[in-house]
Amino acid sequence: MIKILLNTVIRNLYKQKVYSIVNILGLATGVTCTLLILIWVNYELSFDTYHKDIERVYTVFENQKYADGDVFSVYSTPGPLAASLKKEYSEVEYASRLVSTWGQLVLSTNGKTFVEKGGKIVDPDFFKIFSIPVLYGDYISPLSNENTIVLSRRLSEKLFGDIDPIGLSVEINSNYQFVVGAVVENAPENSSIHYDFFLPFKFFKEYWEYDLSDWEANSFHTFVKLKDGVNGKNLTDNIRYHVRQRVPYSNVELDLQSFEKYHLYSISENKSGPIWYVQVFLLVAVLILLIACFNYMNLATARSERRAREVAIRKVVGAQRRGLVGLFLTESIVFTTIALGLGIVFVELLLPVFSDLTNRTLTLNPGNLKFLIAVVLIVLSTGVLSGSYPALFLSSFLPIQVIRGVFRQDSAMLRKVLVIIQFTMSIALFICTCVIYKQLNFLKDSDVGYNKDNIVYVEMLDDFYEEYSELKGELLKIPGVHWVTAANQMPVNFLNSTWDVNWPNKLEDSEDVLFQLSFVDFDFIETFEMDVIHGRGFSKQFGEDTLKFIINESAAEKMGMVYTIGEKISLWNYTGEVIGIVKDFNFNSLQVGVDPLIMMRNPSSFKYIGIRVGEDKEPIINKIRKVWNKKFSHIPFNYRLLEEDFAYFYQAESRMGKLFASFTAIAFIISSLGLFGLVSFITENKAREVALRKVFGANVDNVFQLLFKEILKWIVLSIAIAWGISFFAMEWWLNGFAYRIEMGVGIFILAAGLSLLITLITIYRQIARLVTIAPANVLKYE
Amino acid sequence: MIKTKNLIKIFRTDEVETTALNNVNLEINEGEFVAIMGPSGCGKSTLLNIIGLLDNPSEGEMHFNGYQVENYTERQRTNLRKENIGFVFQSFNLIDELTVFENVELPLLYMKVSGSERKRRVNEALERMNIAHRAKHFPQQLSGGQQQRVAIARAVISNPKLILADEPTGNLDSANGEEVMNLLTQLNEEGTTIIMVTHSPSDADRSHRIIQLFDGHVVTENMRQKL
Repeated sequence: MIKILLNTVIRNLYKQKVYSIVNILGLATGVTCTLLILIWVNYELSFDTYHKDIERVYTVFENQKYADGDVFSVYSTPGPLAASLKKEYSEVEYASRLVSTWGQLVLSTNGKTFVEKGGKIVDPDFFKIFSIPVLYGDYISPLSNENTIVLSRRLSEKLFGDIDPIGLSVEINSNYQFVVGAVVENAPENSSIHYDFFLPFKFFKEYWEYDLSDWEANSFHTFVKLKDGVNGKNLTDNIRYHVRQRVPYSNVELDLQSFEKYHLYSISENKSGPIWYVQVFLLVAVLILLIACFNYMNLATARSERRAREVAIRKVVGAQRRGLVGLFLTESIVFTTIALGLGIVFVELLLPVFSDLTNRTLTLNPGNLKFLIAVVLIVLSTGVLSGSYPALFLSSFLPIQVIRGVFRQDSAMLRKVLVIIQFTMSIALFICTCVIYKQLNFLKDSDVGYNKDNIVYVEMLDDFYEEYSELKGELLKIPGVHWVTAANQMPVNFLNSTWDVNWPNKLEDSEDVLFQLSFVDFDFIETFEMDVIHGRGFSKQFGEDTLKFIINESAAEKMGMVYTIGEKISLWNYTGEVIGIVKDFNFNSLQVGVDPLIMMRNPSSFKYIGIRVGEDKEPIINKIRKVWNKKFSHIPFNYRLLEEDFAYFYQAESRMGKLFASFTAIAFIISSLGLFGLVSFITENKAREVALRKVFGANVDNVFQLLFKEILKWIVLSIAIAWGISFFAMEWWLNGFAYRIEMGVGIFILAAGLSLLITLITIYRQIARLVTIAPANVLKYE
Repeated sequence: MIKTKNLIKIFRTDEVETTALNNVNLEINEGEFVAIMGPSGCGKSTLLNIIGLLDNPSEGEMHFNGYQVENYTERQRTNLRKENIGFVFQSFNLIDELTVFENVELPLLYMKVSGSERKRRVNEALERMNIAHRAKHFPQQLSGGQQQRVAIARAVISNPKLILADEPTGNLDSANGEEVMNLLTQLNEEGTTIIMVTHSPSDADRSHRIIQLFDGHVVTENMRQKL
């Protein structure tokens, strides 16, 4: 029976070639999108899951509470925290700090030097918390010796080639000797923690002269692994005030985040983190698959007149309804299975492009159990969903009605609704895509308060200021180099902050305000072309200009000194004079607003050189490189462009925009197929009416209008609904940005125009053919 | 075998009510060959559909093989129909997507007959209808006469006690029509009851009895001499 059923289905499929191709392509496209999205989602969800007992690993983070009610959540925690938690709470089995090396380090071995920036400073427990396979050396505790360095396989091969380097020595910054204690496997791509080498905290303490016992300085990630069976929630309650118990005036409350959530979830209460993208794209996957299913329903029921006779005959000779439902469901499942096969081929072809678009190395792994389950579920759900309505509808025909010729098409209404839903979804996706693009362009092009174009910057080694001063003079001699400055960070990503700031008239009992902090050199304001509202920037004309502060408008406002300079404020233990107020500029993504900022001149903290160059960057950069290589032969000239960093801010959004655009195009294609099906159904049904109208005097234009008007009604309805849905969805999305566009009516009108154009293109030929057919050809069958 | 009592069939649309059958009382015995005649629209096909369990009457009783069936559900009618009744239509009503063999096989599938048995019986029926050489063809590759022979093969494949034929020669030329009528006559001689709606007096001549319908009433019932 099954064989005969399949045989019939396949023969049907073959006989109605155009119908089958349209249908299978629609489903295949839907399945392809869904699979691509699922592969990506699976990849995102796979982050860090390779660690053993991952559910017992937590990241400690701080909720810093500020005067205006703001809660600032950060992963940065104090140096003594890890050891203290492990000592005081029996629930904690292992605890480790982690901090990236502050800048690049020079590693030398056998007379060769390498400038590396992928170093991590960790405690020995780190290797007990995370599953990092040891290839050579100490398997039990790779970093237990304070003079050992642990290398990744990649770096080990770079430094020593393909040998076991255990016991060989590595010198860091010409001054610190280490012995290779272990070589560990490289971090997989789906790891949140990436590393090239590990160093013990002794080095950190000595090299950066850092007080690791200071509870008030936050520089470290703290990870804990809890004992088996311990509830993380209970521990959170216990450790909440751990910092306050040691620093009474602290505004810090500790919290734990399961490490499983580290990659996708934000620790800020009102932010959702990248999981949002995962959810949105899952929704898109479902929508596209739904559109494809609707398509199938539409096309399958559109052929009902043809199938009705078959149903009637089968019933006359003894078929029960159940059997017919089975037949039609088998048909849709066969269609879906073929579509799936095609979809897998499409996925295989598209994966390189999609990987590029998502910036992930995605692979199709057909042997994977999860993948197989997903595939079976997709086929069954798509097959059953898309086949359900045609099956119930077609099998409901009574043979007597068909034989008597009075059977009615009462599925027309539902089919209209399906097409309206399809178009609504497609138009809404289109509008969302446009809004996303508009917002991203706005962010990229909007005034950030300084000139981010034509800035070249280079990362330096520590303590380079003396050499820098010489370099600066030489650089300024190059034609096209306008300004040169140095700073501890570039304005694309300010990381330092403090609340230890005092100013005149600061209320005694006022709660802390968080100030961003930046150390900048002479000519910083000029190099970045920032606006000085009052006073001046740091300048050599005024001597060393240390213990002077430049603040931004927001900081001035917080301190209640909007238009006054010369006030004394104190930062930590330093007291100094405010010499300038600059107009607020953005030093982070425009998704967040501008925080109060204090800038001071502190040469020992400088880490970057920023150079303003002319429009024609290439030749100028080449000249800079020459000067650089002469001066610092041991440091590679790895320059970056600030404008590129800036674009990087919006990479996630930009990627989302591109993905949205692709999926919108696909949704439109599938919807158009649906409309095509519906129109072919209508033309089949309206043939008689059109013929009669023509017999009684209607001309081609009259008839065309009549048919087009009907279809137009649904599209207009879709447009109206899509406008509403996308408006509210995008308002919500835009409100997540500190700086946002107004959507404007243009996008909505464009969407309407586009969908009407697509409609016209889709249906024109069919209607034209119907309208021009000779009435005699239609009526002679009556 | 078939007995109707005050059978009434009314078709209703929103505004119009049409009485297709009005107090029809009939009795047809096993082995009979009955022709139903009358002008277009007199209710012939409606009567045939009710007898064939494709439709229920609006009022009155309908007995089939001892069962009183006028209130049967679709499922019950299907079950009774597939074991007992074969149909032959004017427009053949073969399924275009199935081969000749598969069209004839269809009723056996729904009766859950085993594969080998199906094969034997279909081949036998096709031989008998002299169409075995066309078993693998599709209906559209056959002439009208051949298609109707396939339809008759399909009607007899389940060994029904009753064959209902709705103008079986209506779409055929005289030679093919003659052939079809020969087949039906032969089946009747072998014991199958046949009820045939026809406009053709010569076809009606093959029957034992002619029932004349007019405006939903039985006007005359002529017993004929068996040829």
